[in-house]
Amino acid sequence: MIIEAHDLRKTFTAKRGRGKTEQVEAVRGIDLAVETGEIFAALGPNGAGKTTTVRMLATFTVPTSGSAKVAGYDVVSQAAKVRESIGYVSQAGGVDDNAPGLDSLILTARLAGMSLKQAKARADELLTTFSLSDIANREAKTLSGGQKRRFALAIGLVTRPPLVFLDEPTTGLDPQNRANLWDEVRKLRDEGTSVLLTTHYLDEADALCDRLVIIDNGKIVAEGTPGELKKEVAGDVVTLKLKGSDEAEDVLKAQPYIKEVRAEDGLLRAYLDDGEHGLPMMLRALEERNLTLESISLDRATLDDVFLKHTGRSLRDAA
Amino acid sequence: MLRHTLLFFDYEVKNLLRRPIWAVFGIIQPVMYLIFFAPLLRTTVPGGNMEQVLAMFTPGAMMMIALFGSLFAGFGMINETRNGVLERLAVSPAWRPGIVLGRVMKDMVALVVQATLVMLLALLLGLRITVPAFLLMLLLMAATGMFAASLSYGLALAIRDEMGVSQIVQFFALPLTLLAGLFLPVNLGPQWLQTVAKFNPLYYAVEAGRSLFRGDLGDSTVPVAFGLLIVLAAITLTWSMRSLRSLAG
Ligand SMILES: Nc1ncnc2c1ncn2[C@@H]1O[C@H](COP(=O)(O)OP(=O)(O)O)[C@@H](O)[C@H]1O
Ligand SMILES: [Mg+2]
Repeated sequence: MIIEAHDLRKTFTAKRGRGKTEQVEAVRGIDLAVETGEIFAALGPNGAGKTTTVRMLATFTVPTSGSAKVAGYDVVSQAAKVRESIGYVSQAGGVDDNAPGLDSLILTARLAGMSLKQAKARADELLTTFSLSDIANREAKTLSGGQKRRFALAIGLVTRPPLVFLDEPTTGLDPQNRANLWDEVRKLRDEGTSVLLTTHYLDEADALCDRLVIIDNGKIVAEGTPGELKKEVAGDVVTLKLKGSDEAEDVLKAQPYIKEVRAEDGLLRAYLDDGEHGLPMMLRALEERNLTLESISLDRATLDDVFLKHTGRSLRDAA
Repeated sequence: MLRHTLLFFDYEVKNLLRRPIWAVFGIIQPVMYLIFFAPLLRTTVPGGNMEQVLAMFTPGAMMMIALFGSLFAGFGMINETRNGVLERLAVSPAWRPGIVLGRVMKDMVALVVQATLVMLLALLLGLRITVPAFLLMLLLMAATGMFAASLSYGLALAIRDEMGVSQIVQFFALPLTLLAGLFLPVNLGPQWLQTVAKFNPLYYAVEAGRSLFRGDLGDSTVPVAFGLLIVLAAITLTWSMRSLRSLAG
């Protein structure tokens, strides 16, 4: 187990102006168990407490209560040991704008104890991996968002840490750069590096991680593999828009092949295992009651449906 | 510890060398004062010759670089509290005081180079000082830079807001200039002014500089200035370390 956390909590005292303060419970009791070598995701909307959790695990923020071990060391009492074992790519990236990316790479490597020669060799390796060789000597402020992210990732990996934290690694990237970054993260797993990443993108957690937790309001609301979680909410989801949705909701709830119905902003979402066969039956049932559809669609259930089930909100709205 | 400090120092010096123009900008002010103001000052000192005027005025002009240069050194670090650079360094194996110390060392070196240029100009204009006085003056500048830069990083880490820090520095820069006797020795003024000046660390630095330029290397103002600047730098450095820790909330 590379990460073990028990009942982690963090309460911030935030200033509210005029000398008043406010208690913000950012993380309210989180338990984590991340296996060595897996890609583990924390999925949740903005403000859920993902960054705070990662910061506690990475020894930046001291937990208000609870305990955590990272790479076998306590994050509070053995912080120095933890720091030797991790790479940390913050949400903001942490690339120094005023220096070439190569200089940041070499400095980071040397701070971790490498000689100049070793640091240069390792930096070269990463520049090649991330196709950064051509822009290695350009001041980072002249780089594009995607290039900077790649440098951020390279800096996080330069010490060959057994565990890397990636806080919202693809926020702000275009689809092409996102896909490339996903490939890089998968390569890390192939090399045996453990990854804890946070994201508010469903597809990212779905495509990338071995296991995940869904976090909302500082708490874990669901945990498992993407497959397991989706199975919880049945395989398919039919989304309907129609007038008289209250009546329709009752009708659909009465259908034996429909597992669950949820109403959300004038839309009805019906969960069922076999959408292809269920759909015609649903249409017939609605027709019998003279309920006219405005639109209908059939989709595979996503992690958003899992989030909806546990929080009553859609992640798209919450984020 | 020392290794980490030197690594940061090396990294920062490289950054500075990529933009040497800013260091040159930093001495434009004192250079202008030396060229345009010192001759004027001479006319106000009865029977004063240029050599004496420069010995009195040059230390003040040099301290100006510290006031208007080193005190702003922390500006770059404010952005680093937000863009994740400090966050990344804080969870790296880096020795934390080295993060600030390496930068302070870079600022000290920059200040010493700038001070050397200003002193060379003053020599051209007619200043006459001994080699030991020249070297001691550079050391004094280094100590001043250490204090001013540490203070600036301390402010940057504690306030973390460009507006806030620039307001504070601007607010204090003028009274510090006047109360250090940068242009004219404070002891020409009334007693109360002299008393107030005693609370200004720069006052001691300027006084020590004047003693050195008079050739009075053993004057008590010299060790007092060094001691004070070093102690104050240590205090501000400790303060900035505490602020760095509070960055995490
Ligand atoms: N340093 C801090 N001081 C006060 N409140 C904070 C601080 N950091 C985070 N918070 C608050 O804690 C909550 C969780 O924030 P965060 O962990 O950044 O969420 P996420 O990364 O999931 O978007 C938010 O309400 C945020 O405003
Ligand atoms: Mg976040």
